[in-house]
Amino acid sequence: MTMSRILVVDDEKTISSYLQRKLGKLGYTVVTAEDGEQALELAFAHLPDIVLLDVKLPKLDGYEVCKRLRADPSTAGSVVLMLSAKAQQAEIQRGLEAGADKYLCKPMSFPDILKQIQAFERSKATGEESREDSQHD
Amino acid sequence: MGRQSSIEKFRFGILPKMIVSFLLVSILPLAILGYIAGKNLEEVGLDALNSAEKMGRGSLLAAENLGAMAIKDSVNALDEKSTEAIELRTVELAQRIADFLYERDQDILFLASVRRDPTRYLQIYQNARRDVILPVPSAGPETPSPRTEPVIGWQNPDNKTSWRHHPPDRFNRVSKPLYREITFVDLAGQEQIKIVDGQVSRDLRKVSDQANTTCKAEDYFTRLVALERGEIYVSRVIGPYVPGWLTKTEEGIKVKPESAYAGKENPDGRRFEGIIRWATPVFAGNGEKLGYVTLALDHTHVMEFTDHVIPTEDRFAEHSDGGSGNYAFLWDDQDKCISHARDFFIYGYDPETGRPVPGWLSQEIYDAFKAGGLSLEEFEQQLPSYENFRMEKNGSSEQMEAGRVPLDCRVLDMAPQCQGWHTGTEDGGSGSFLIFWSGLWKLTTYATVPYYTGRYGASKRGFGYVTIGANVDDFHQAANVTKTYIEKGISEQSTHIQEAVDKAKQAIEQSARKNRGLMSIITLFAAVLIIGASIAISYTITGPLRRLTDVALAMSRGDLDQHIEVASRDETGRLANAFNQMASAVVEVDRMKSEFVTIASHELRTPIHSMLLGVSGMLGGYAGAISDEVREDLLVVEDGIERLRRLVDNLLDLSRIESRKMELYLSDLSVKEIIDTALTELSDLTMLHRHQVVAEIGPEIPMVRGDRDRLVQVFVNLLSNSIKYTPEQGRIMVRAQLEDGKVVLMVADNGYGIPAWAQEKIFERFFQADQIMSQKVGGSGLGLTISKWIVEQHEGSITCESPISKGRFPNLPLGGERKGTVFLVELPLSPAI
Repeated sequence: MTMSRILVVDDEKTISSYLQRKLGKLGYTVVTAEDGEQALELAFAHLPDIVLLDVKLPKLDGYEVCKRLRADPSTAGSVVLMLSAKAQQAEIQRGLEAGADKYLCKPMSFPDILKQIQAFERSKATGEESREDSQHD
Repeated sequence: MGRQSSIEKFRFGILPKMIVSFLLVSILPLAILGYIAGKNLEEVGLDALNSAEKMGRGSLLAAENLGAMAIKDSVNALDEKSTEAIELRTVELAQRIADFLYERDQDILFLASVRRDPTRYLQIYQNARRDVILPVPSAGPETPSPRTEPVIGWQNPDNKTSWRHHPPDRFNRVSKPLYREITFVDLAGQEQIKIVDGQVSRDLRKVSDQANTTCKAEDYFTRLVALERGEIYVSRVIGPYVPGWLTKTEEGIKVKPESAYAGKENPDGRRFEGIIRWATPVFAGNGEKLGYVTLALDHTHVMEFTDHVIPTEDRFAEHSDGGSGNYAFLWDDQDKCISHARDFFIYGYDPETGRPVPGWLSQEIYDAFKAGGLSLEEFEQQLPSYENFRMEKNGSSEQMEAGRVPLDCRVLDMAPQCQGWHTGTEDGGSGSFLIFWSGLWKLTTYATVPYYTGRYGASKRGFGYVTIGANVDDFHQAANVTKTYIEKGISEQSTHIQEAVDKAKQAIEQSARKNRGLMSIITLFAAVLIIGASIAISYTITGPLRRLTDVALAMSRGDLDQHIEVASRDETGRLANAFNQMASAVVEVDRMKSEFVTIASHELRTPIHSMLLGVSGMLGGYAGAISDEVREDLLVVEDGIERLRRLVDNLLDLSRIESRKMELYLSDLSVKEIIDTALTELSDLTMLHRHQVVAEIGPEIPMVRGDRDRLVQVFVNLLSNSIKYTPEQGRIMVRAQLEDGKVVLMVADNGYGIPAWAQEKIFERFFQADQIMSQKVGGSGLGLTISKWIVEQHEGSITCESPISKGRFPNLPLGGERKGTVFLVELPLSPAI
């Protein structure tokens, strides 16, 4: 099983670089973007398996990024895990409507994030589409 | 709900207050004014009317007075003439009686001169006769029908002026012997010759013995002894008293039929039969006294003089009428009645005893008599004459009932006219006076009977006196007729005035009534207007106020986006305007607060996320191996991060609750699953406190309808409370049961419990548990507030009880010494069930 390519999108540099370091250490190929436009550029350039997408982003917000990723055939198959400090039901709903595979709420521990990633990797390996309800709190 | 009912308390609204005060201020004075004005108007009208009436009545009175004066003059003139005529008649009657009595003197002297021979005496007896009017028995079949007298008119025209003619009377006259007795009595008092009833009597008695005399009452023999030649003895009237009874009936005083004769009043009654005895000594040729002759005059002949006299234009009557008051009567020199229309009034003797029947007294005096020990005769003898005679007195009823009412003027103290006659005849002569007697003005005349023979020569009153009573009204009947005419005219005029006055009064009253009616209508109309105006005005105030109230209540329920239409520019408009501004400000503040909370929580989450990433990474071993000490330190940091995270979540929830932005995503839920989810989430914490947690949710518990995440949140909050506040190795139980169509979930622990005062307070936000327990446990103070809100949004309820009563919750075997706490969450069943 090849390690997934992961795109981490977060305007907080400390967060994205932490995830890049830790996930990279675990063998993942990680690229980071700081805004929506950059995220799209990198996504289309690298075609990541998994996108850890923040919602509140400069230039282009996470919903929009997700929609465009889903709109483009090259990235439509990527797993999009939205990870946001916005935790309201309406926002979650909006994220799922925009095409996110899962909506995760900050704060979230690193092992939990890793579990989510691994869960998607497993489901991808068995060829199943996982569309579970998102979880918050 | 509490807020709502505190507003409901203010019930007495502006409208009724306004109506009452407006009515008081305007209608009351209006009504009073109207009443006073109407009353004054009416009074003015009535005053004017009264003046008019007074004037009318005044002129009438003047006319009446004038008429009365004229009548009085004529009445007086008539009275004088009539009085004179009646006085003259009285005097002439008295004179005729005196003449008659003097003739008896002649008779006795003649008798003394004739031979003492019964035949001769009988002859004298038969020759001495006189006519008496013998009334025809009233009820007899021969009662003649009233005769129609031929009218005798004048023949010569020169006689026609004031021509008057009276037909002769047609009375039944019968010749009657003058004397009842003619006797010769010897010197020893023994009757020698006696003529009685037209016969020579053999019943010769010894008259010196009073028992052998008339009524055993004659004492003449003792008097005869002293008589000289030619001297004459005359007795008083002696005869048996005839009783009579007067009764009061509705028509006046009536004479009972068993009474003595009383003229028209009792024509068939027994007559009084008395005698007056004349006597004179008889001498022989040698001057020797041989004895005495006596004549007993039948008193009927004396009574005859007065019995038929009536002082009216009829002049004479077969029977006089005691009831009418128009009749003549006769009194002797001692003021005893000796002739009267009512024979029971004539003074007489008791034939058994020879004593006079005592005279009638007033009740007052009779009562005085009864109080004393004397006989009535003795009592009357010692009574002073003519003392305290008064009209107001009444005759004694005892004497009336006994039928013994002879009149003795001297003691007849209820008849003051007696005193008048007595006084007037003291020196002889005659006269008259008016007296108001038996409800009538009565003229009473008196005239001394100038007969002075024998004892009657003792006073100038002579034999006694004749009196005639006459109703004055009868004299001036003509004047009275005129008076009647005048009175009738005046009364008619008076009636006219009364009618006019009544009509005017009616008109005034009608107009007053109309005024009052109008006034009432105006007042009513004004009241309606005022009430209408009050309603209108109060609605302009209360309408906006009510809208304001509604809006404010809506805002207090959290619906902040409120606005009131400003319709008017008055104070209510300004109030509404101010309210709108306030509402906008509140909305703005609320928006800012929500925004702040949202932003703040979002901005807080990011650094928390960073911290959690770092710490969790290290704890997860992703930063290489760490020592146990570092791990423990990191766990402390993680706990702090966790609390911070929950605080932010709760703050956000609270913000949503307060801005009503939290929505529920409803679905049918399994209670067991909710509890299991919550317990799973709390498993780390449970283990940390080494509690024993037991959840018993039976399969019979049906589904409930609700928001899964929110309900899990509720039980996480409740259970985490129990876990945190129960000392280590405690026991926590979750139970569910069906009650009245609701699912009741119990979260119970055997912790320290919650004091009663705090059992409601714990649901208030930011209530800190350290207020009820010394133990310091981390908590935001928001979990229960949010839980309560969520449950209530599910139309359920959440309550807390502590200590747990074993009676109510027998199925909670928690054990331990502590009080424990149970939270009860009631949730409605899913409607699908």
